[in-house]
This record gives sequence, C-alpha cells and structure tokens, in this order.
Amino acid sequence: MKNSKFFFLLPLFVFGLMVFQACTDLAVEATDSVFTPVTGGTFAGNATDLLASAYNDMNSVADQANIYSLTEHVSDEMIPPTRGTDWGDNGVWRTLHAHTWDATHQFVGDSWNQLNGRVFKCNQVLASTSPAPTTAQIAEAKFLRAWYMYQVMDLYGKVPFRNVGEGVEVNPRVLSRSEAFDFVEKDLLEALPGLAVIGPVGDNSTASKAACNALLARLYLNKAVYKGASPSGPFAFDNADMAKVISHCDAVIADGFTLEPNYFDIFKAGAKNEIILNTNNNGGSPQNRVYMTLHYDNNPSGWNGFATLADFYAKFQDGDQRKGLPAAKDGTEFSGIGYGFLVGTQYKDDGTVVANSRNGGAPLDFTPDIPLAGATSNQGIRVMKYHPGQYGKYILLRLGDVMTMKAEAQLRSGAVPAAVVTLNALRAVRAPSLTPLSTIDLAGMLDERGRELYWEGLRRTDQVRFETFDDTWSYKTLTNSTRNVFPIPQQALDSNPNLRQNDGY
Amino acid sequence: MKFLHTLTKGGLLVALLLLCNFAMAQRIVKGKVTDAEGGDALIGASVSVVGTTRGAASDIDGNYSLEVPAGSTQIRFAYTGYGEQVITLGPSNTVDVAMKAAGVLDEVVVIGYGSIKKSDATGAVSTLTEKNFNRTSLTPEQLIQGRAAGVVVTNSSGEPGAGINVRIRGTASVNANNNPLFVVDGVPLSGGETSGSSDAAGLGSQAARNPLNFLNPADIASIDILKDASATAIYGSRGANGVVIITTKSGQSGKGVLEYGYTLGVGTLANTYDVMDARTFVAEWQKLNPNGAASEVNFGSETDWQREITRTALSHSHNLSFGGSGQGGDFRFSLGYLNQDGLIKESGIKRLTGRFNGSKKFWDDKLKVSTNFTAAQTLDAGALITETAGFEGDAWANALKGNPTWPTHNANGTVFQSGKTSEPSALAMIELSDDATNTLRALGNINAEINLFSGLTFKTVLGFDRSISSRKNAFSKDLIAGDAIGGKGRLFVTDIETASKLWENYFTYNKEFGKVNFTGLLGYSYQQFQNAGKRNVYSKFSTSDLELMVNNTSTAGVSAIVNSYNVTDELQSYFGRVNFGISDKYLLTATVRADGSTKFGGDNQYGYFPSGAFKWRITEESFCPKVFSDLGLRVGYGITGNQNINHNLYTARTRSSDGGIDNGGVAFTGGASSVTSENPAIKWETTTQTNIGLDWGFWGSRLTGSIDVYQKNTKDMLVQVFAAQPSPNDFVWRNLDADVENRGLEISVNLVAVDKDKFDWRVLGNIAFNQNNVNSFASILNTGRISGQGLSQAYAQRIAEGQPLFAYFLREFDGYDASGNQKYVNDLDAQVFVGKSPIPKMTLGLTNQFQFGNLDASFFLTGQYGHYIYNNTANALFTAGALGAGRNVTNDVPTSGESRNNAPDVSTRFLEKGDFLRLQDVTLGYNLPIKSKNISGVRLFVNGQNLMVFTDYSGLDPEVNVNKAINGIPSLGIDYNAYPRARTISVGANVTF
Repeated sequence: MKNSKFFFLLPLFVFGLMVFQACTDLAVEATDSVFTPVTGGTFAGNATDLLASAYNDMNSVADQANIYSLTEHVSDEMIPPTRGTDWGDNGVWRTLHAHTWDATHQFVGDSWNQLNGRVFKCNQVLASTSPAPTTAQIAEAKFLRAWYMYQVMDLYGKVPFRNVGEGVEVNPRVLSRSEAFDFVEKDLLEALPGLAVIGPVGDNSTASKAACNALLARLYLNKAVYKGASPSGPFAFDNADMAKVISHCDAVIADGFTLEPNYFDIFKAGAKNEIILNTNNNGGSPQNRVYMTLHYDNNPSGWNGFATLADFYAKFQDGDQRKGLPAAKDGTEFSGIGYGFLVGTQYKDDGTVVANSRNGGAPLDFTPDIPLAGATSNQGIRVMKYHPGQYGKYILLRLGDVMTMKAEAQLRSGAVPAAVVTLNALRAVRAPSLTPLSTIDLAGMLDERGRELYWEGLRRTDQVRFETFDDTWSYKTLTNSTRNVFPIPQQALDSNPNLRQNDGY
Repeated sequence: MKFLHTLTKGGLLVALLLLCNFAMAQRIVKGKVTDAEGGDALIGASVSVVGTTRGAASDIDGNYSLEVPAGSTQIRFAYTGYGEQVITLGPSNTVDVAMKAAGVLDEVVVIGYGSIKKSDATGAVSTLTEKNFNRTSLTPEQLIQGRAAGVVVTNSSGEPGAGINVRIRGTASVNANNNPLFVVDGVPLSGGETSGSSDAAGLGSQAARNPLNFLNPADIASIDILKDASATAIYGSRGANGVVIITTKSGQSGKGVLEYGYTLGVGTLANTYDVMDARTFVAEWQKLNPNGAASEVNFGSETDWQREITRTALSHSHNLSFGGSGQGGDFRFSLGYLNQDGLIKESGIKRLTGRFNGSKKFWDDKLKVSTNFTAAQTLDAGALITETAGFEGDAWANALKGNPTWPTHNANGTVFQSGKTSEPSALAMIELSDDATNTLRALGNINAEINLFSGLTFKTVLGFDRSISSRKNAFSKDLIAGDAIGGKGRLFVTDIETASKLWENYFTYNKEFGKVNFTGLLGYSYQQFQNAGKRNVYSKFSTSDLELMVNNTSTAGVSAIVNSYNVTDELQSYFGRVNFGISDKYLLTATVRADGSTKFGGDNQYGYFPSGAFKWRITEESFCPKVFSDLGLRVGYGITGNQNINHNLYTARTRSSDGGIDNGGVAFTGGASSVTSENPAIKWETTTQTNIGLDWGFWGSRLTGSIDVYQKNTKDMLVQVFAAQPSPNDFVWRNLDADVENRGLEISVNLVAVDKDKFDWRVLGNIAFNQNNVNSFASILNTGRISGQGLSQAYAQRIAEGQPLFAYFLREFDGYDASGNQKYVNDLDAQVFVGKSPIPKMTLGLTNQFQFGNLDASFFLTGQYGHYIYNNTANALFTAGALGAGRNVTNDVPTSGESRNNAPDVSTRFLEKGDFLRLQDVTLGYNLPIKSKNISGVRLFVNGQNLMVFTDYSGLDPEVNVNKAINGIPSLGIDYNAYPRARTISVGANVTF
C-alpha cells in the first residue's frame, strides 16, 4: 500500500523536474511566407515574382488620389472643387490646387512611400537569387526602377536610396536631384540594350525599347530642371541634351508607332497604334477617370468631382478632335456620355436631358466657371478621355507625348521650322480641318502639350519646365517658387536623419 | 536545479511518513450547520473528515451526520461564501457549527498561480464576485462594467456580440489591442480575434466580434482584476494592460444541486435621432432648392426609417447547472442557451455553451486533479453596420439620411430602392444582405496538484483553447449601394482558426518559520498560439438569392482567393514569486518572470519582468487607533511588457499580397511582396508602474475601502511607423523612443449602512481619476479616421509630444459667415491641437443594495467625465449640404446658419463633451419562502438596464468607441453610425432544486 503510492509519486517528481527543461528554442518557421535573407548584397527572393509585382505597382497611378493628384491638381488644367458635403476630404484636394500643401499632406506622404517602396522592390529583383533575374529581367527591373525613381526625383527633388543589404537599422543615404538624374540615366542606358523591341501590339504592359527611349527622352528634356541650381529655374537647356531627346523620340517612332486617326480611339479597348506602355491585367483599370469627374446623375453615376478650368478649355479650337465629340445618345449603354470636354446640357443614353437631382431636378448643365470651394453640383467642365464601357487599359506612355517632346526639343534647340513640321504632322491627324501652324513659340508649345496630353499626369512637370508653375490661375493665387518641388513628408524626415527638408517648407 | 533536487529528496521522506495510516474503530458525529448571524440553517454545507475522503452534506434543516474513523480528530466545514472552518473533535458526538459569512478581510483574491487573503494582498487588485456583478449581463465583461475603480469597459456599439474595449488605468500604448490579458481558469487567452472582421464590399469594414462571447456569464464565479505592476508582473510580457482573471463556478454544496434560471429581456431603442419627418423634410429641402419641384424629393410616403429597421428585441437566456461536492471532490455541469435579438432587424446572437468543472482528491487529499472545460457555439447575425462607411453609408446611416418620403416597399411588394448607388435604402441594405458568423470555441484545462510534503505542492496544468469560425457575408445583386454590388452581387467567406496550447508547471512552498510566514512559487510555462485563416471573394452572381449565394457558390461568375495565412507563435516563461509575512505586520512580495517569445528575434527573445511590493498592516501595530478595523499601506513597483505585434517582424520574408475582385467584377491576383525586412532590433515594450495604496476599514468593517495612486510609464512602444524609404514596406515596427505616462488616483468604498435583521443596506462606490500624456516623442502619428461624404482623407486625432494619447487635432470652428460658409478661429483652415482628449479624466460607479427580508433591490449608476467625443455621425450626415442634396438631417440643421455649399470639414463643430451618468442597472428580486423537499429556493427578479442616461452628448449614446484606426494606430472616442444601444427590461426566475 505504502509502496504503491510511493511509486506513483516518483515519476511525478521526475516529470516535474523534466518540465523545467525548456520546451522550445523559440525558433520560428516560415509557414506562410518565404524567408528571404539578405547576404552580401544578394537576396533570396524570386526575381520573376518580384518583377511581376513591380509591374503591378505601376497600376496605382490609375487611382485619382496620391501620385496622379500631385501631378494634376497643382496645375492649370484640373481643379478639385469642394461641392458642399462632397470632396472636402479634409482639404487634401483644395490645398493641392491652391499650393498651400504642407509636409503632413496625406498624398505627399503616401506617394513618397509608394514610389520609394517600388524602387526598393526593383532593387530586390536585381539582387534576387532564387531564381536570379535573367538578362531581360535585369533590363526590365532597371527600367522600372528608373520609372519610379524618376517620379521621386521629379516630385520631391531629393531621392533616398537603400540597397537590399541595408536593413532597418541603416538610415538610407540621400541622392541630390542631380545625383538622382545620373542614377536614372544610368539605369535607362543600361536597360536599353536588354529590352525587347515591341511595336504597336495593342495591350502592351511589358517594358520595351520604345518605353525606355520615351522615358529617356523625357529625362533629357527635363535635364535642365533636374540639374538646375534651383527647382524653380531659370533653366538653361543644352542643345546636346535636346539632340538626345530627338534621337530617342525618333527611336520610338522607328519601332512602328503611328498616330491613331481618331483621337478618342486611343483610349478604347483594342487600340494599339500609339500605345507604348499600358497597365497590366492586375488592377489599373481607368474606371476612376470616369467616376472622378462624372455627375451623380450621369449614367454611369459618377462621384461628381474634378473639372477643368475655363481658361484651359479656352485653349481648344473648334475643329480640334481633342476638344471632344458629342454623345452618341443612341440608346446603347453609356451613349449619353460625350468624349473630351463635357460642357453644357447633359443627356441620358436615350437622348433625354439628365435631371440634376442636386438642383431640384433642373436640367444638368455643366458650366465653365468653377470655384475651388462652395461649388454647386453642376459647375465645371468634365473631362472624358477613357469613355465608360469602351476604355481599355490605362496608358502610361504613348506616341502623342513622344511627338510633342520631339517638337519641344527641336524648338528649344532653335530649330523652329523643324518643330513646326513635327507639330503639324501631329495636328494634321488631330485637327485636320484647321490651318497648319506657321510658327511656334514656347507658350504655344506648352499649349500644344496641354491639348494633346491633358489629364494624363504630365501637366505639373510641363509647367515647371516651362516656368509657368509660379504663375497664377483660377483659385491659385500664390506665387511661391518653393512649390516647384513637394516637401519631404514630415514622417519621412522623422524616419531618416539623412533627409533635409526642401527649401521653403 | 540543485535546490529542486534537494527539495525533492526531503519531500519523499516526509511524504512517506504522512502516508502511514492505522485503521481503527469509527464513531458517528452529528450536528447542525447554521449561519452565525441570522441563525438560519445552511443547506448543503460540505462536512468532511480531515485527512480522509469521508464526507457528507448538511440537509435542508442544516443537519448532518458523518462517520468519523477513530484516529481522525478534525472535521472541516465548508460553505460557499462562508469559507471554511475546522473543528477539533472533543468527546461529544454532537458538533453544531455557526458559520460566519466571509467578511471583506477574509475574501480571497486570485493573483495568478495562486490566491491570497485580501488582507495579505500587496498589489492593487479588485475582486468582484457574483453579488457585485451586473447580474443580467449577457457577456462576461459587462459583469464588471463600472464596478471596479479604474476599469473602463466600453462596447464598441450596442450590437449583440460587439467588440469590446477594456482599459485598466488608462491607455498605455498605441497597439491595436490594448485590452488586458484575460485568464480563464488559469488559461491565458491569446488576445487575438477569434472571428473574422469583414469587408462590406466597399461599404466599409466590419468589426470582429467580442472574443469573450464564448463564456457564459452565468458560469462565472469571480473576476479578479490585477491593476498594478506588482500584481501583473507575474504575467510578465502580457501584464502591461492589466490582467483579468476569470474563475468559473465549481460544484459547492455537499449534495447535488440542480439550478435553473431563465431570463426574458425586452430591449427597446434607448434613444433615436431627431431627424425630420416627411413634411418638414420636403419643405426644408425646397428652401435650399428654390429651382426644384417638390416632386423631385417627395415620393409621397411617410417613413420613419429608424423605426423601420429596428424592432423590440427579445432575448431569452436559459441556464441549467448541476453540481455538488463531497468525498473530496466536486463537479459542476452547466448548459447555457442565449438567443438575443439585436435592435436592428436580422441581427442577433445565438449562443450555446456547455461547461464541466470538476475536481477530485486522491491519496488522503494529497493529490487533487481538476478539470475545467467549456465549449461554445456562437451564431452571430450581423446587420450591415460598418465602421468606415464612405459616402453611401451603412444601414444605420441610411436610416438617418434616408428620404422620409420614400416608401419602404414598392407596390409589387419588393423592397423600395432609390436606384442611386449613393443613396441606398436602409431596409434594402438589411433585407438584401446577410452576415452570418458561426464560431465554435472550446477552452479547457486539466490540472493536477500534488502535496509533496508539508507545505510543498506541485501543480501541472495542461490547457487548450481552440476556435473555428466562419463568416459569410453576402450582398445580393439586387442591392443598389456602392459600386461593387449592384448587378453583380458579392460574397465574402472568411474563416479563422485559432489554437492555443498551454503547459504550466509550478511548485508552491508555504512554511512558517517562527513569526515569518513564507510562500514561494517557482514555475515554468509554455504556450503556443496558432492562427490561421483564409478569405475568398465571389462576384457576378447569376442568382440574387442570398441563401443560394452562400450555399451554392458556383452561382458566382467570378471568384478570387483573397489570401490565407497560418502562423504559430510561442511563449516560454520562467516565473517565481516569494511572499514573506512577518508577524502579520509586514508583508513582502517579489516576483520575476522571464518571458521568451517568438515575436522577437536574436538577443531580444527574452524579456525580464520583475516586481516588488511591500505592505505594512498598521492595524497590527499597538499604536493603531481602535477605530480602524483595518489599516494597511501598500507600495509596489514593477516592470511589465507588451508583445502585442504581428508574427515574425524581424526576419526578412516575402509572401504574395492579397488578390481580390475589383468594383467592376474583374478578379486580380496578388504579387510577391515583402512582409518585413530584417529588423533584429525590435524588442519588448515595457511599462513601469509604481503604486501606493492604502486599505482601510472603520467601525468593525462597516466602512471599508482603499485608495490607490499610481504612475505608469510605457517606453519602447511598439508602433508601426513610416519606414525610412526606400523600404519594402511603407511601415515598419519600431520601438518608439517615446514615453506614455498615465497617472491616476482610485478610490473604492464599501459601506454597510444598515445591518438589521429585516433590513440591510450596502453602498459600494468607486471613483477613479486618470491623466495621460505623451512625452519625448519626436514624430507624429495621425489616427481617428473620419468617414463619410467628402471626408475621405479626414482624421481627427494626432499622437504627439506633450499631448494625451489620441488628442483631438481639428480646425477650430468659429460659426458661419454671412454666406453660410464656416469660419475658423484666426481664419486658419488647418488642423491644430484643441486641448481636448477622448480619455475620461474621471470614471465612477455607485451601487446601492437593499435587502428587506426576502425582498432585495439594487441600483447601479456609472459615469465618465472630462472627455470628448467626435461625432462623426453628425459630421457625415447632419449638414446643410446633405439636406440640399436630398438627404434627411436632424431638425436643427436648417437653423444652424450653414449654407448648402459649405464643406463640413473636420472641426470642433462636431466635437462634444462626453460626460455622462447612466442608471445602468436596477434590480428588484424576491426569494420565495419555500421549504420543500424538491425545491430549495426560488428567486424571481425584475431588472432594468440602461434606464436613463444624463448627458449633453447629441448622439445616441456617449459610451461609444468605433474603431477608426489609421495604419494600425487605434483611435478612441469616435462615434460613427454606432449600432444603437438598447434599454432592456428583463424578468427572470432562478430555481434551485
């Protein structure tokens, strides 16, 4: 009896002592992710997957906020009016248009994160080992890195940089705008030989020689800005750079791109003639370009947001295709929506007039004058390039941009007649009924860029380069030259002591 | 280990001696067990022979009869609420015992890995037992709402099963989850969500449910709240937000007792918004739309949408339990069923819980084996109420803004819809969507406690906690709301599985050395937490039938895998505690816990959390005035931690990002993306806390209470901050170089006001003051997302140096100009700190309990003061612009002076005082004077909950906290379309057989 109890106790003691031994060494396993350690500048990532992801990231520019907003609302071609309870959004839009943004602006911060994070992802592609990138993938990754870093350089001036081997404890070094230019240039020049020749094939979401040439042209065209002593100018354009712009533009054209005979067909599904690069299948739909501008009572029902400025609309002549086409109103879905600038009375698909439910059911009539705040629901001319129900992919690079860049480079290098020839070649398609240009100056050149590329995310860069960004326009009265670059986001400054705030913020 | 080895050897010898027994003759002892105060018989008291397994129970008249083996000299009497009494037998065979109801001083406090007499407790601990609970509560945390000083319990809304926010001594951190650690019968809960949050197809995110839903409050015997670090440090890394120890009921009475309780609750809408009726709405709309014909907005009906989507909510709660004790063992089995309708149609909760608690002693009481096991099935039916609804709003927002002239139904009987995606019908949102969550959760432990030799015991605990949950959220293609649903339909299926395993072993040694009483604890604990889940999304349905959508998913034309995950974390700990009591005057406690966690890597895996406390029982000193029945001074200091971050944030790793279906119905897949980069420096967040407390009692303990002051400082806060770009992620977890300071004062008072035979009146009160501040923080964090029309990027709170956490950061509203546009102080159209905070400066609770013979009554008031609420509901809905656009608003809008073209940006216009005093609970009970063979007690009661709220807040209820986090930084005190709270009248009966 006694002994049997004792025998029960003994194992319990032993057991009790055993349990004081550690059960675990606290090592974690990768159950739903892959450990991707960084050793000596390489990275155990999968180059193919990461490259695909880096491409997907390009799609975010189709959103109306963040990067797109920084390139458009600050310019003279788009206004984000607050309409009563709509689009106040804590002032994020108004402050962009009025040039009163600060370093805590939501889009300034988020865009910084998006773009720099993508640069890093491209670094990861290049440093991947399992598998390592192919020669073609290296070229594409360098193109994409240049694509993203270009935007950081353009928007913020300074560019932080981190290698894959530099962990959280390392404060990224900071490239000046000039150093960033050299970095982007080097990437693009290294990428160019390894990229495929892809002509006009329609849906093209892979980086090609043409895309690289187009970006190089943009880079050299703006070199004076990025290498300049002050972000607000004055800028001195170098003929050698302009020659590079022209040769890269010619290289794009040589790959077979041609102008689309009907301007708004460019933005329709199935178009191919002048699309150099578009978003891929994973998101990046142009749908927000439709919703962000259409009125609630349009079909499709929009968010009644952004409009263009009356002064910008006035730059378009009748006879220029780019000014717009009337709605078909043939009863098919969305045929009540016109193309280009939507101004005046709006119609339903069946041709009857749209009643504005925000104005007691009065006919919906888009009027040109538009205040920045306190706008009524029908004020402001709307813009419809990607037509609902017809749009294809979101376009990132296209021939119209390349041709106008070429003309501008010709103009800036003093070859006015050559510039006129280039522009007239474009205008012969876009505005065949109008008299060809006989001459061109810088102001005319900026206007032509605006007419060709309005609402495509290039206006801010153009206005800075043409030194009109400090001018005033409707509801933009500040002429603060320090606004030519955005501030470094406050939280980015807090996170990296190597960063210094841009002048004026 | 050598110490243990020696211990073991000695133990064996002593154990051997103890085990020697000699069989001898028996005798029979009889007697009566009575209540020392009233003289009433105590029915079912446990009577046992010390050192044997022999036992008996007192009968209905309190009489017992017990066979006592010769050689045994002591009998132990035990009765719930009366403690234990051991009587040494004399020559007489009749032993009558008068037992005293346990007074405050003899109450036992559960402190983690043990319990202690309240008078010996050195830390700040609040103990609540059944008699102080909010007894008709339907969820566990509501039992203690307002009852303990410094403990603020807020349900995120009035929805049955809504998430909870429990704050002990303020908010110390900016983690997503600042809830305390919950320990149920010794098993620490993981703190993670056990059911999926959901995504309402572009109409905002829906909160996860209350993780404590699986516990039936009727099964809970006591809740101990460890507040200061000297008490919580034994839980180390998880102690920083306090620890709530829940102990469930075990079988008590000697003979088996069967209890049945039923409660019927009738809930009605406690408050509604004063929105315009149909006629006023049309007239006021026309004033703002002079061009407009009334027919534009007048659809001819008169609909009160708040009434249309709500109902009188009935709840039925059945509780059946059977338990008993004796023969060195006890058991209790219980079943609970709750069927609670929500105020909003289609919403509600059905919960079935089963529990078994049992224990049995073996080997002359030297080995005790116990088990606690509970299983619960919870069916949550949710309404389309979301936390972040945009301009379309959710069902409640549309009940407020919906045009009151709309009919509820079309002539053909289908639900009416405006046809505009931005103006859905509230009723259509309810009827054409379905949100069902089925959660099965089982939690249990089996433990063995062995008395090795005099004073040394060893306990081993094996515990588990497993939960399987599936949430199915369907939106019919007939519903016209937002961009993703109409014409396409959408279904989300979110499954979550969690599993936690626990193995704990500890030695406890208790010994008196002369005047020194020593208790030592040494233990090891291992806990593993597994979290897995997946989500799929479906769209382009051929059917509009919600049931078919859920149960025949191939009716979807497109489906996409959002993602799945499966991670396991481990926590391995060593802990120890020593208590010294010297002459009962000086009590010393020291604890230390070493926690090793897989949440941290490299050299940071282990964190060390020590604490020490001292109590001086001044009453034991000869100089202490006799007026004090108790006077004790406590001083404690400790370091606790927090590891409440995601799995493995220190090893560079990649996984595919989420896929999904876009608003157009096109599926997309995820892509390779970094989860985190190499981040080896991440380490434990630590909170140091100093507590000074005074326990006191006057006049023979008629007036007792305690006063505590504390200072808490949280350092190395674990926060997601902007990563230094370029970085694989926008955010990176860092230990912030900031210091969040909480200082406070807590007073609790218990008064026995009248203590007569037929009339008894007790008053329990608590009041707490808290002050919160963020020091030495070099950056900023924005939070408090404000949602609604035209408020897309809006936020209302900023965490910054020199401000309290979640300080309001707003434009300063200064009325309207002549044209009806708002003005700001100094014409500054920018956000500034406005010197107001959502953290209550003062919280209080006051209970009055009366007993008149068989009749009892109580009422309970709770209040919070000094804080502000941001009324996002009004900001999003009740503006002139909204009325102008044809949406309903409250009656005060037309006279506010606002123009319909004014942009109601985030400003102090919508910031309101949150002060309130609530008559939370009134109960009237009657114990039927039945003395029958079959029924030993019947109690009938009527209870009212949330009967009155005294507040100036213009929203429905000032006790509100909708999750408005930004980038994982939580918010506090923002009201946005919160599910309305009920006023509930309950009637019920408890029968004891």
